[in-house]
Amino acid sequence: MKIISMIIIILSTGLFAQEKPHFVTQELQCSTCHTCEVPTKNNPCVRECIREYLVSVKHSAKEAPENILINRFEKIENIYQPVHFTHQLHAEMSHLAGGCQTCHHYNPPGRILTCIECHETGRKREDISKPDLKAAYHRQCIDCHRGWSHEINCVSCHAMNEGKPSNIDTKPMPKTVHPEIKTPERMVINTEYANGKIVTFNHKEHVDLFGLECQSCHSQESCIKCHDKNPDKLKSKMVHETHENCASCHDTDNNCSSCHAQKEKPGFDHGQRTGWQLNKLHSKLSCSSCHQKKGVFTGLKSKCSNCHDSWSSENFDHAITGLRLDEIHLENECADCHIDDNFTKPSCGNCHDDIEYPDFMPGTLTK
Amino acid sequence: MKNQSRRDFLKITTISATALVGASATKLFASGNPTSSIDPMGVLVDTTVCIGCRKCEWACKKAHNIDTKPIEDYDNRSAFENYRRPDHTSLTVVNEFRNPTAESKPYDVKVQCMHCNEPACVSACIVGAMTKQENGSVIWDTDKCIGCRFCMVACPFQIPTFEYHKALQPDITKCDFCFERTKEALLPACVEICPVEAVTYGKRSELLKLAKKRINLYPERYKEHILGEHEVGGTSWMYLAGMDFDKLKFPKLSTKAAPGVSEAIQHGIFSYFVPPASLFALLGGIMWLNKNKSKSEPDTE
Repeated sequence: MKIISMIIIILSTGLFAQEKPHFVTQELQCSTCHTCEVPTKNNPCVRECIREYLVSVKHSAKEAPENILINRFEKIENIYQPVHFTHQLHAEMSHLAGGCQTCHHYNPPGRILTCIECHETGRKREDISKPDLKAAYHRQCIDCHRGWSHEINCVSCHAMNEGKPSNIDTKPMPKTVHPEIKTPERMVINTEYANGKIVTFNHKEHVDLFGLECQSCHSQESCIKCHDKNPDKLKSKMVHETHENCASCHDTDNNCSSCHAQKEKPGFDHGQRTGWQLNKLHSKLSCSSCHQKKGVFTGLKSKCSNCHDSWSSENFDHAITGLRLDEIHLENECADCHIDDNFTKPSCGNCHDDIEYPDFMPGTLTK
Repeated sequence: MKNQSRRDFLKITTISATALVGASATKLFASGNPTSSIDPMGVLVDTTVCIGCRKCEWACKKAHNIDTKPIEDYDNRSAFENYRRPDHTSLTVVNEFRNPTAESKPYDVKVQCMHCNEPACVSACIVGAMTKQENGSVIWDTDKCIGCRFCMVACPFQIPTFEYHKALQPDITKCDFCFERTKEALLPACVEICPVEAVTYGKRSELLKLAKKRINLYPERYKEHILGEHEVGGTSWMYLAGMDFDKLKFPKLSTKAAPGVSEAIQHGIFSYFVPPASLFALLGGIMWLNKNKSKSEPDTE
C-alpha cells in the first residue's frame, strides 16, 4: 500500500512539474508575493498589489507601441475630447525616472498587461478595491504632470469638446520623438568647500570614456528636472545628494582632492596619470573595454598581448595599423618581425640582412 | 359666576393643549433616531489622491440647478487662497492644504455633509423635516422646514447653511448625497465626475475595508485614522488623509453620537411635562397673586 501511494505521489509531482512553476522562471523570492512561509492552495497568502517588484518582462522603448488614442470613454456629450498618448516618447524618457514600471506597476509573469486588464471601465462597480480605468489613467498622468506644471489643467492634455462630435483624428499620429538632449561638455562648479572650491566635472568624459549611462546619475529625476515651469521652485541638489552620485566610483568620504581643487582641472589624461600615453586607436575606447574588472584600474601591463592575446597573423587585419602587408609578408607570424613584443617598430633581421624599416616597406601604406 | 366658568374653560383648554404639544414634542424627538439600514451606502474621500481640480464643485452645482461658472474656470487655483465652507451657492467645496513632505503635492480636502449614521440635525429638527434615509442620505423636506436653524446649531460639522436671500422662503441647504440621482441608480454627481476617483462610492462596510487596506498597504502615505469610522457614532462619508485631521480643519469629535448628548438633555427637560407644568405653575402663581391683589384693592379703598 505504501509503495502504491509513493508511486502516485511521484507520478503526480512529475505531472505538475512539467510546467515550470513561476518562481523558477522569474527568479523571485517567495516572500515577494507571499506573506506566509508556506503558501498552500487553500491559503496562498498572496500579497495585494505587489507593484514594481513583479515586473518580469523588460523590453526596450523602441518595441513599445508608439502612440495610443485613449478614446474608450468617447461620447458626444463629454466635456473633453479623447487624448493621444505619446506612449513611446514617454517610455523612452522613463528610464531617467522609474522605468516602465512607473505606469505598468503590476505584471505577473508573462507579457506586459495593459491598464484595462485590471481596472474596470465603469465607476459603478462591485469591486471597489482598485480605482476604475478613468481614474487609473488620470492618476498616472497627473502624478508626474502636476510635478512640473504646478497646475492641474484638463486642457493641457484634453481639447474641449464644445458639444460637437469629437473631431479628434483617429488615424495614427506621426511618431513623436523627444528632441535630442544637449549635454554639457564640462561643468565648473563652485562649492563651499574651503580646501578646494572648484570642482571640474567633465560630463562628456564620464559618458564617452567612463561609459556611464544617463540613468547612472540622472535617476528619479523624471520630467521635472527639465520641464519645470517654475525653475525657482526647483531646489538645487543637497551636498549629500551630489556626493551620492559620485560616490559609486569616487571615494567621496576620504579623497576630497580627487575632485575638489583651487582651480579648474584638465580632463583625464591617461599618459599623465599612468605614464602610458594612449594612441589614436586606444584613446577612443571606454575605460571598461580594457579595465574589465569593475572599479579596478590597476594591474594591466602595457604589453599588447595583455589584452590582445587572441591575435595571430591569421585573424589580425594588419591594414588597421596603416600598413597593408603584401602577399609574401602576410604569411609570416607576428613575432617574425615584431621581436620582443615590440609592436611599434618591426625588425627585418630575421629574414633580411641589409634591409631596415621604414626604408623598406613590407607592404603599402594606407594612411 | 360667568367669569368663573370662562376661567375654567381656559384652564381646561390650555392644559389639554399643553398636553398635546408635550406629547407631540416627545414623539418628534423620538423620531430623530436613525432609520437607516445597518449597512448604508457611503463615500470614501481619499485626500491624498484628490488633486483639487474642483470638478466635483461644478458637477454638484449642475446636479442641483445652482448657477455656476463654466467648467474651465474651475482650473483657476486662486480659489484656494481663502479657506471656504459649503453654503447655498456651493454644496461642496475643496480646500487646499500645504503638504509639508512634498511641496508639489498639496493635500486637497473636499468638504460636504458627512451624512452621519445618527444625525444630530434630524434629532434637532422640531418639525421633522430632516430625515435619515435607508441608503444613508440625510435629506430634508423644504415644505416642512420652518427655518428655525436648529439643524445648523446641532450639526457637529457645521454643514447646513441658511439661504438668507429669500426671506419668505426659508430654506436650509446642504449636500443631499444626490438623493434624486441615487434613486435612479445614478452615482452622486461628484463621484461620477472625479477624474482620479478620490471619492469612492460603495457600501459603508466595503469602504471601511478598502480604507483599512490602503492604510495597511501604504503606511507611509496615510495616517492610521479613518475619519468618520467612529466619530459622532460613524458617518456615511469617511476620509483618509496623510496628516492629522485637525490640521485639515476638521473638528475634533468624540465617538459618541451627537443626538445622544442633545437628546439626553432635551428629553430630561421635557420628561413628565416639566417645562410646561412649571411654566403654568409660574403663570398661575402670578395670576393668583394678582387676583388676590385686585380683591384686596377695593377693601383698602
